[in-house]
Formats: sequence, structure tokens, C-alpha cells
Amino acid sequence: MKNCYEPFPMHIERIVIETTDTTLKSFELTFDREADRKDFFVKYNPGQFCQLSIFGKGEAPIGIASAAWEGDFVRFTVQKLGKFTSAIHAMHVGDPIGMRGPLGNGFPLDKWKGMNILVIGGGCAFSTLYAMTKHILHPSHRADYAEITALYGTRNSGLCLYKPVIEEWHNRNDIVVHQAIDVPEDNWKYHIGFVPAVLEEMAPKPDNTVAVLCGPPVMTKFTLPILTKLAFPPERIYTSLEKRMKCGVGHCGRCNIGHKYVCKDGPVFTLKELQELPNEI
Amino acid sequence: MQAKWISKKELKKLLTAWTKHYLVYAPIDNDHELAFQMVKEPARIVVDGYSNTRYPAKSLFLPQSEVLMKYDGILHSVENTEKEKILFGIRPCDAHAMQLLEHALVDVENPDLYWKQKRESAIVISKACIAPEETCFCTAVGGSPFNTADSDVLLVEMGEDYCVYVLTEKGISLCKELPDAEDTQLQAVKKLTKKVVGRMPVLLPKQELHNALMASFETEFWKDVSQSCLGCGVCTFLCPSCFCFDIVDETVRKERVRNWDTCMFRTYSLEASGHNPRPTKVERTRQRIMHKFAYWVDLIDEIGCTGCGRCVKYCPVNIDIREIAEKALHREFEGMKK
Amino acid sequence: MPTTRDQKIQAEAKRLLQEGVVDVVIGFTKGTLPYKMQPCFIQHAEDVEQLELNGLCSNNLAVYLNHRPKDERTAIVVRGCESRAVQTLVLENRHARENLYLIGVPCIGILDLQKIQQHEQDPVLAIQEEGDQVHVTLKSGEKTFQRSEILHNACLHCNHPLPVNADMIIDEAGLFEERTFDKSYLESFRSLSLKERYQEFTKEAERCIRCYACREACPMCYCEECFVNHSRPQWVDSTIDPAGQQAWHIIRAFHQTGRCVSCGACERACPMNIKMTYLTDLLNQDMFKEYDFEPGLDPALMPPFLALGEDNEKFGVGPEGSHAG
Ligand SMILES: Cc1cc2nc3c(=O)[nH]c(=O)nc-3n(C[C@H](O)[C@H](O)[C@H](O)COP(=O)(O)OP(=O)(O)OC[C@H]3O[C@@H](n4cnc5c(N)ncnc54)[C@H](O)[C@@H]3O)c2cc1C
Ligand code: SF4
Ligand code: SF4
Ligand code: SF4
Ligand code: SF4
Ligand code: FES
Repeated sequence: MKNCYEPFPMHIERIVIETTDTTLKSFELTFDREADRKDFFVKYNPGQFCQLSIFGKGEAPIGIASAAWEGDFVRFTVQKLGKFTSAIHAMHVGDPIGMRGPLGNGFPLDKWKGMNILVIGGGCAFSTLYAMTKHILHPSHRADYAEITALYGTRNSGLCLYKPVIEEWHNRNDIVVHQAIDVPEDNWKYHIGFVPAVLEEMAPKPDNTVAVLCGPPVMTKFTLPILTKLAFPPERIYTSLEKRMKCGVGHCGRCNIGHKYVCKDGPVFTLKELQELPNEI
Repeated sequence: MQAKWISKKELKKLLTAWTKHYLVYAPIDNDHELAFQMVKEPARIVVDGYSNTRYPAKSLFLPQSEVLMKYDGILHSVENTEKEKILFGIRPCDAHAMQLLEHALVDVENPDLYWKQKRESAIVISKACIAPEETCFCTAVGGSPFNTADSDVLLVEMGEDYCVYVLTEKGISLCKELPDAEDTQLQAVKKLTKKVVGRMPVLLPKQELHNALMASFETEFWKDVSQSCLGCGVCTFLCPSCFCFDIVDETVRKERVRNWDTCMFRTYSLEASGHNPRPTKVERTRQRIMHKFAYWVDLIDEIGCTGCGRCVKYCPVNIDIREIAEKALHREFEGMKK
Repeated sequence: MPTTRDQKIQAEAKRLLQEGVVDVVIGFTKGTLPYKMQPCFIQHAEDVEQLELNGLCSNNLAVYLNHRPKDERTAIVVRGCESRAVQTLVLENRHARENLYLIGVPCIGILDLQKIQQHEQDPVLAIQEEGDQVHVTLKSGEKTFQRSEILHNACLHCNHPLPVNADMIIDEAGLFEERTFDKSYLESFRSLSLKERYQEFTKEAERCIRCYACREACPMCYCEECFVNHSRPQWVDSTIDPAGQQAWHIIRAFHQTGRCVSCGACERACPMNIKMTYLTDLLNQDMFKEYDFEPGLDPALMPPFLALGEDNEKFGVGPEGSHAG
């Protein structure tokens, strides 16, 4: 039987420096063992995360930033903060690394079929939204959903992730992309301002629409009331939570909100679910 | 369930015989205090006259520090080398706690194999409490000093004998030689049960307490009851039903280990960004109490405290979980559904 | 007229709260078990009757200065060691002395539950203190002790039972005499061979469950991040193996050198009955020998290791070299 704490061996296939300040890098990992690869892709659903593992530096839960159709690799976009994240930032292509996952619930994409999807992302928390959007935009999935609108805000243009792909999205006609930065910059063609304000200005219609929100806590805090004001019902507002984690599988007790474990029952929750839990985010 | 009977003298012989075939863990006197230890000399087993050990028996299944994996370029799980063992003399509250831990650690998709293998290789012989201590309150949280939950065999001390309740297949294999208890003997056990339970605290209204705590979440109540808390690991480490752990790499030994951890430590929920959803002892105390009396109830409709009284007895500032539960029940919180 | 010690404490607490001198009075009140008292935080004059002080008050209340808002005007009921802890915290800039009001009580010593119970399985059902005598009801029967027989070791070896620099003293004679630094009890430990000392130390440390009740009970352990929790790099083995246990005990003691006020709150908080004051006392004895320094006695004297600056040629600077300010 599988030991749920044992990471499987992976290698770093590609590294992309995402932001001009270099605090965010994407790592594309490939599988050393065919069985792990198979197992991963059978289970993977956008919105899930993995525990990445470097012996001596511990583990860190990182959201999956690639769609399954992209290839036999898994992408993670990591912000350099503490022990683990600094260590991975110092790694090179070809280095070995451990991984456990996919973990958590992910977005209920089946449930959303036939609906409009409003994607709202801020800062580096955009990674799983990116994976989800990519998944939906794939020709074999796109027809399952109605209108797709994305709003992505970063402090400045240099901090925007996945630039080439997002540029390409602007030119597509099956997705409407709004981008925003906090302060004006030369040659910036899109919105200026914070995500909540831009969203209010955009005034998306709530009918038959789910709003999926991932961002830094302040953004989430100020955006939720706007969505409510725009008459999005709490059961159609989704967000992905972060908590300190260890086991990632609901055993170590660390990531609870009330009787739910963010690692196992989440990280994706509807606002309605959160309203029914103690307010401890 | 079968009811058998054995004299104290015969039980001693049986214990000695078991040590020849199994690893036996039992309360051993350790200078001022008892602890569950592997029995080397059966004569040292403390069979009667104790209330409970200070260090909880959960450590036999979820050790405080445990090597999960070894590293030699990649991480390998340590091999399972569990031998069949007997855990003798555990109290019903602690046996019940093992059911809670089983629930926390084992699910279909991702069972914790370290726990599972240890638990499955153990035969649990528990002992009913005929003289509960002042800090014992199992009856308040849905248990009983004669509770059979999660035991394979339950012994009840009856004068110079024990009544032996054989509860599972594993228990039967150990006790098949014993004679059945007679009706009069069983009547006496019933009488004793009634007498002992009658002196114990009454059952807490589980749902009412749950609702009160949920309503208390953002009130000053928690500031009140947590003021003297020091934020140590005593109440949770000694608690038989606490299971939280940390995973740490020990680079010198090249091992990934896990250690008990606790929501009472300030570093427990601290995130890399510096954000801490439980920044002070107010939120941390709330978590401990609510986990026991509210979240477990949400999860499996049972209180997650088994009333062993360890946290009451050993908290260095006498924070008493019974007192907090009572206070919560008697305070009016806004918006509370009764 | 208040007559007993408790009544006098209550009367002073009442006056302080009524006159608005302080926002809170920190003291002890009855616990939920016959052998336990609880720290309490009195904010209203009508609640002062809860305040009591006896030999079962086992904590060092100065620890709460580290938990509470710095601008809160606080009165604390202090015994000798607690007053010295407050002094040290003030010297280390943890609290402004002008926000504090110390209700000093000459100490009668703290009882040691381990000395009262022969065995933990023989629970204490009642305790009654009566001057020098303590009547105890154990499950196994009644017993009367001389107080000195069952005092905690820290109190037996206490040199300064009288509160230092208190704002008022509850005028009841304490139990002990003041004395100059006397830690002669350590001589038997010092006379052991290195190996024997290591054995003694190991025998204690190996029971440690890393619950850190000792740290949290200690007024001098207030670091935002304790060295044992440091992760980059991780200094100490995280497990309950000897390497981790011993490192914890040794480094903790070192951090207390010349700061520990010998109250013994750490030992009394320890759920595993581990002895540890001998370590800090040994280090303090060295501080006394080298620098003539005793923690918390002189409100103007910085602990030597904190006072050492770049100008000090070597560790051998005398107390005049270590004046604060
Ligand atoms: C579901 C989920 C998805 C995430 N996705 C991403 C992502 O896509 N990209 C990204 O850059 N970051 C992500 N994070 C945050 C990331 O996990 C933390 O920044 C990271 O764990 C910090 O580890 P560290 O060792 O560098 O920091 P340290 O402060 O040194 O942390 C030590 C240990 O604490 C734990 N820890 C500390 N902070 C957090 C935290 N916020 N969340 C979880 N565990 C923590 C980890 O176990 C870590 O090993 C995610 C977190 C969660 C819970
Ligand atoms: S919460 Fe306290 S009384 Fe309840 S099971 Fe845990 S230690 Fe025992
Ligand atoms: S009370 Fe705290 S330490 Fe115990 S299981 Fe719950 S979260 Fe973990
Ligand atoms: S044992 Fe007492 S002081 Fe320590 S964390 Fe628990 S409640 Fe707080
Ligand atoms: S209180 Fe005792 S058991 Fe806990 S860390 Fe300190 S010495 Fe170890
Ligand atoms: S990370 Fe262990 S329970 Fe969620």
C-alpha cells in the first residue's frame, strides 16, 4: 500500500523566471517513474496542489500551474519566501526533486459546464487559475462552457506571470481578458487600479456565472463585497485558500478551519461554505 | 461479547505466559509515576490500584518522534517491522481516544500506514476504572469507566478476581481457556458499574455545548478563559486524542521524522508570509477547546475529549477544560441556536 | 481592618482599582483542584475577594508581563523571586517600571507536590496550611508535614524571599531569612566526576517531552522566536532523542545565565518532574563568583552578559562596569 507521506522522484525539466524582480519562477517537473506519471494524470484536476519536497529543506504546498494537455510535465510557480522556496529557487534544470500529489479537491469543472466563468486573480496566486483557464480553453473543453472572462491584477507589469500566453489570450475571441496594474506605466494598454475597483467598473453580470477568485488576502477581502454587490450568490463565488500545511492529506491537523481541512476538503471553497465555517482565515 | 472470569493469581500467570509469545506493554512503576513500557519482568507490571499513566498510551501507536523515511539521494519509507503485541491495562478513556485517532489518521484514500500497522498488530486489554479520580470525567463526554470501545478485552476488578469481557476475535484467541462468568458474578459487576458511574459527572449536552461554542467564536469569552494560558504543549501532548504532528528533516541523521506538534504553540499556524490565523493565545485556546467540543461533533457527532483529565491535572496554570465547557454552556452568546 | 495576608492584598488591590491607579491586578485565586491555584487578572474592585496567596501558588506571575499590552497599568502581587523577575524585565526594557505597581509579599515558600505525594497514584484530596504546618489528605490517608519538609527546592535554596523594589509590602513576616548568595546545595553536584555529572544530567533530560512548559512558565523566556524553533538553519534536533533533549536543556540554561531569578517556576510547570534549576543555579553561582552579580536585586545593574559591550576588555569586568544606562 502507498505511503501517503513518501514523495516520488521528479526532475526539473525547465525553469522560467516569471517576473522582473525574479521572486517568482516557474518550474516544470517531469516524472522519473512511469507509474507515478500515470497515477498523477488520472487524478489531476485543475485547482489542486502538490507537496514539493527537497530533503533537508522540507516540503511546501504549491498549486499546480499547468493543464494536463500541455504535456507530460507539471508546472509550479513559486514565490521565494522561506526555507523551502528559497532552496527551490537556487535549483537548476536537471536537479532531482520530490513531489506528492495531486492533493486537495480542485475546481468543480464538471459542475460549471454550460456556465459563464469569471476568473479573478491577483499577484502570484494566479497560478491555479491559469491552469484552469488553460484547461477550459483547450478545443476539446471550450464548448462545454459559455463566456470566459478573466481579470488579472498585479502591482506592476513586471510582476505579471505567464506573459507570452496572456498576450496571446488578448488576441483570442473565446476569452475576454482584463489586466490591471496598480500605478500607471508607459505603454500600458489596460486598466489601472486595484482589482476590486476594476471589477466594479467591469460590472460583470451574475446570471448563470461562477466567479473564481484567487489572490492575496487583501484583494480577496475587498473583492468579495464587490461580487456580492454585483449580486453573485455566495454559492457561485469560489476561492482557493492557503494555510500552513504539513501532511497535505488531512492527518496532521494543521490546516483546519472549523472541522474542514484546507488540504483535503479544499483548497477550493465556495463563499457559502466559508460563511458556514468559523471566521478564521 | 463473552463474559469470563479469572482470579488475580491466574491472571498474573497468564500475563507471564503472554510475555513469552508477545511483546507486552503494560503500566510499569517508574519512580513516582507509571508509564506504559515493554514488559521485561512480568512481576513489575502494575495490575491494580492505579488511575492512569501520565504519558498517554497513544505514544505506542503514534510515537512522539518517529522516523518516516530515510534519505540516500531519494527518500525511502522505513520498513514495517511491527510485531504482534499486547497492550495491557489501558483505561477505557484512552482506548476510546484510539478510535478518534483512527478516524483522524486513517481514511480510504490516504491511510497513515505507520499508525495503521502499529494499531493492527496490537491486542488491547483495557481495565475498567472501579475508582475513578477526581479529575476523571469520561461520563460527561459520552464515555464510561466501563466503556468497551476499541478494546479487545475489558477487565473489571472484582475483589480477588476479574470479570473478563471478551469483545473481539482477537480477544477470543487470548481468552478461550477461561471459564465463563456465572450469572451471580455478572449481577455483581452490574451493581458495581452502577455504583461507580453513579458517582461520576453527568453527561454534557453535546449539541447545546457545540452551539454555544460556535456562537462564542468571535466573542470576548475566549479572551477571558485564555488569559492565564502559557501556550505550552502540556495539555495537548498528554491528551490521548490529540494527534497533530509536524514533519521535519533531520539532515545529520538523514531522516525525515515526525514529531507531535500542537495548536497551542505560536509557530504552529504561522505562515511563511508572516500571517498567522491564530496570532495569540486567545485563538489558540479557542482552537483546542473547539476542536474537542465542536469540530469533532461536526465531523462524527461525538465529543473529541474522552475525559481522561490529564490536561486538567497537568496544566501548569490549572486551566480546566471542564470549567471552560461549563462556562460556555452558561453564558448567553448572541445569535445562539439552542 | 484587614488582618490576614489575603485581606491585606485584597484591600490594596481594591484601593488601586478604585482609585484608578492600575487597570488590572495580577494575582492568584482558587483553582479547580485541591492542590492547584490559578493566576487571575482582576479588573474590577468588586472582584478583589478572589485574590488569595498560599503555598500552592506555583507560577511566577511576572511571566504575564510578556503576554499583556505594554501600556497597561498593572499591579502584580509579587513574592521575592517575582519581584526580581520584574526588575530584570524592566532592565531588559520589556516593561516600563512606571506602569507597574508591585504589591510585595514576604514569601512563605511554595510547596512541592512531589514531596507531598509518595506516589502520583496517591492523589491529594485536600491541603490545609496552618503556619509552619501543612495538613494533607491523600487518598491513602491524612498526613501533617512541617512546611520545610515539603517546600520546593527553589524555595529551600532561596536567598531573597523579600520583594525587591516593591511599591508596598504586605507587612507579614515571611518564612525565611535573607541571606547572601548561598547555593551550597550545588557542591555535591560539583564534586561529582564529569561522567557522573553527565549521568545525572542525562537522567533528567531524557524524560523531556519538549512541551516547553518550562520556557513558557519562565518570565525571562520571552524571545519572539526561541532558538529551538529556528528553521534557517535549524540549530537543534527536533525529536525527543537525547541529542535534541540535551541541547534544549543546555542552551536554555545558558540563555538564563545571570538572568534566571531562581524561582523554580520551570520545574513546577514541567509535567515530567524534570529537575533543571540546578543548571541555572550553577551558572548563576559562576556569575556571582565572577561578577558578584545576583539577578534582579539591584534595579540599576544590568546582567553582566547583557552589559558587556565592545569596550569591555574581557569577561572579567566587575559590576561597576555593568551599570545600566
Ligand atoms: C494550497 C496551497 C497552494 C499554494 N500554492 C502556492 C504557489 O502556487 N506558489 C507559491 O509560491 N506558494 C504557494 N503556496 C504558499 C507556499 O506553500 C508557502 O509560501 C511555502 O510553504 C513557504 O515555505 P518555506 O519553506 O519557503 O517558508 P518557511 O517560512 O521557511 O516555512 C516553513 C514551513 O512552514 C510551512 N508553511 C509556511 N508558510 C506556509 C503557507 N503559506 N502555506 C503552507 N505552508 C506553509 C511549510 O510546511 C514550510 O515548509 C501555497 C500554499 C497552499 C496552502
Ligand atoms: S482534552 Fe483533556 S480530559 Fe479530554 S481527553 Fe484530552 S487530556 Fe483528556
Ligand atoms: S486540540 Fe490542537 S493539538 Fe489537539 S488535535 Fe486539535 S488541533 Fe491538534
Ligand atoms: S497546559 Fe495549560 S498553560 Fe499549557 S497550553 Fe495547555 S492550557 Fe495553556
Ligand atoms: S517542561 Fe519539562 S518536559 Fe517540558 S520541555 Fe521543559 S523540561 Fe522538557
Ligand atoms: S496539512 Fe495536514 S491536515 Fe492539512
